[in-house]
Amino acid sequence: MSTPAMQVRSRIPRLAEDAIQRARLTVVPRRRTTAGRAPFLALVSMVLLGGVVGLLLFNTSMQQASFATTALEQQSTRLAAREQSLGMDLDRLRNPQRIAGAAVKLGMVQACSPAFLQLGTGEVTGAPCSDAVPLRIHAKAPAKPAVLSPRTKVVRVAAPPASTAAGKSTDDTAGGSAARTTGDGKKKSR
Amino acid sequence: MPATTTPRGTRRGSPQLRLRVGFLVIAIALSVFGARLVQLQGLDPNSYAQMAAAENLHRVDLPAERGDIVDRNGEPLADSVAGMMLIADPKLTGAHAAELAAFLYKRLDIDYASTLAKLREHKVDGTEVRFEYIARRVPSTIATDIMDEAKSRGFKGLDTERDPVRDYPADDVAANLVGFIGTDEPLAGFERTFDKQLSGKDGSARYEVGGGNRIPLGESTVKEPVDGKPLQTTLDLDLQWYAQRVLQQTVEDSRADSGFAIVMDTRSGGLLAVADGPTYDANDPTASPKADLGSRALQDVYEPGSVEKVLTMSSLIDLGVVSPRTRIVVPGQLRREDRPINDWWQHGTIPLTLAGVIAKSSNIGTVLAADKFKQGQLYTYLQKFGLGQKTDVGVRGETSGLLPAGSTWTHQMQDRIAFGQSVSVNGVQMAAAINTIANGGVRVSPSLIEGSATTDDGVPVGTDHATRKRVVSAKAATQTMRMMERVIDPEVGVAPGAAVAGYRVAGKTGTAQRVGAECGCYDGTDTVSFAGFAPADDPRFTIYVVVQNPRNGGGGGSVAGPAFSKIMSYALRRYAVPPTGTQPSQLPVEW
Repeated sequence: MSTPAMQVRSRIPRLAEDAIQRARLTVVPRRRTTAGRAPFLALVSMVLLGGVVGLLLFNTSMQQASFATTALEQQSTRLAAREQSLGMDLDRLRNPQRIAGAAVKLGMVQACSPAFLQLGTGEVTGAPCSDAVPLRIHAKAPAKPAVLSPRTKVVRVAAPPASTAAGKSTDDTAGGSAARTTGDGKKKSR
Repeated sequence: MPATTTPRGTRRGSPQLRLRVGFLVIAIALSVFGARLVQLQGLDPNSYAQMAAAENLHRVDLPAERGDIVDRNGEPLADSVAGMMLIADPKLTGAHAAELAAFLYKRLDIDYASTLAKLREHKVDGTEVRFEYIARRVPSTIATDIMDEAKSRGFKGLDTERDPVRDYPADDVAANLVGFIGTDEPLAGFERTFDKQLSGKDGSARYEVGGGNRIPLGESTVKEPVDGKPLQTTLDLDLQWYAQRVLQQTVEDSRADSGFAIVMDTRSGGLLAVADGPTYDANDPTASPKADLGSRALQDVYEPGSVEKVLTMSSLIDLGVVSPRTRIVVPGQLRREDRPINDWWQHGTIPLTLAGVIAKSSNIGTVLAADKFKQGQLYTYLQKFGLGQKTDVGVRGETSGLLPAGSTWTHQMQDRIAFGQSVSVNGVQMAAAINTIANGGVRVSPSLIEGSATTDDGVPVGTDHATRKRVVSAKAATQTMRMMERVIDPEVGVAPGAAVAGYRVAGKTGTAQRVGAECGCYDGTDTVSFAGFAPADDPRFTIYVVVQNPRNGGGGGSVAGPAFSKIMSYALRRYAVPPTGTQPSQLPVEW
């Protein structure tokens, strides 16, 4: 196994024995490295801690973003609904019926026929005038059914004979008899 | 040493025994775990997955927004607003029902008494009611405000749910065409016909929720909703409104049953207004009788009467057998086989030109002129004018009218059809036929939808599908127009009331006997109408006004004519159509 080394050794002259003795390789005792451990541990802990804290922060920020999303989504829904409601109000204001009503209130009328003002020459074509029969913008109230306004029924009653009136000479009796007769008359008409 | 170990060994037993017991325990434990695993994963995994999901997995519908129905300028006839329904749990609201009812009554337009009854604890068929509708289709801004206020006042048991609001901002304007929506589905008009396009497709979202917030990195799937597409009509909101009001006034003042007015763009065939009267409020359709909810202009048939003479005359001129100056001797009464034909006014034998026949609306003159048709010619022309066929503008339940088949025509029938009886039409059909004359003899098919849309029957309709077909020559159309101008003439015509000052107007009156629904015969009532276009020499609009059964004794000229004039005047003004400045025709009416 160590033949080449032995060959070398045997070839070296004996006079250099001392020098060889001195130069002989010896096993160096292993140096104990105690200093490296602490920084390494610190580094690993730092990395671990950093990772955990980072993850925590990341998660927190995600959660915060989620809160924000939910809040913003709600706000967006609310604002969209508001926009739609306002749009609806606007459309209602734009209702030609409402505009016509407002115009009539201001005293405006429909024109009878178109008239044109030529911008270049200032010439007026057609005769501007108001409509002879104004436009009725509201439907007429429906006619009241005849059933609801019955004719006044007049029942003529012959004056009580003078002889009976003489016996009971109070107005009350005459009034009472008249009322009774009217009642009868009404009954007949039904 | 052995003395000390032996007692320990005897206490714990032999190692082999201990090992076996240990293995047995481990095996039992593992078997239990294994069995449980099989039970969870193998036998019924879904129910557990669902239970886990139900714990905090939320599923919400993402509603598609219903498309608007707009007029030609994009002004909405129907639009959608986010809405909510207010619901209550009487078991919870019962304690403070009176205060809550008063609060809701003040904030919403609802009945106090019935709301109070709903809010109080009550039973139906022995079971306690836990759900009551308080108000439906409340705009969500209002609903949210109410809920916030109710919460701050400490009312419990009130809740909301999505319930979109469909609003018709112009109430009754174009309601007969646009239709309306019921509680859950479209019930009439465009809303129903084009529901597929308008409704869109609802989407949905699933996500995990913790503490009211979405869990980031949790399960989350979103299927985006597809909003409904808007439907653009050819209608003009303001013109439609004006036409409806004029029609309403006309129907009321003549004490008529009903009526309609149609405004058609001469060149494109787009219908700018289709007014029906009496109409209804699309926001409250149940307040009106059912008969008023449809479109009479398209769904009712009637006999057009003398307006049809325009078609007869233009066909005759197109055939080259007559001209506006053709002389006709018109007797006081014309006997045809066993039936006499009369004119609307008493006269002896009078010499009228063809223009005079139109200007004075003589039935006898028309019948005499129509004798020049060969068998089947008038039928072919009327078919080309579009009579007897649906216009397919996209209105459901449209009638095709009644044009008797050519093979069934008798001589008498042709006489009557020549002046517009024994043939039935729908309003838009007739307006399109008259528009053919206005458009130089080319019939443009009418349309109500801008662009293209598909009905629920799968028929594509709209301006993209409009067709143009020549019916009579341009010369025949011009000559007919010149004859129609004489109708408006205050000296010789029957409808001076239809004139629009400063403009050349061509038109024709119609007063037709009306077929009663009950007897199926002419019941003595009339359909009066006026159809015309302006400016006569360069027409932009064709307007057709029809009034059913006026009771003031008026005819086409006196009832429908002024309505025509008003609407035409408004249309010309609105679209800034200047007068052409040419002189109206002075064709002789007598000879």
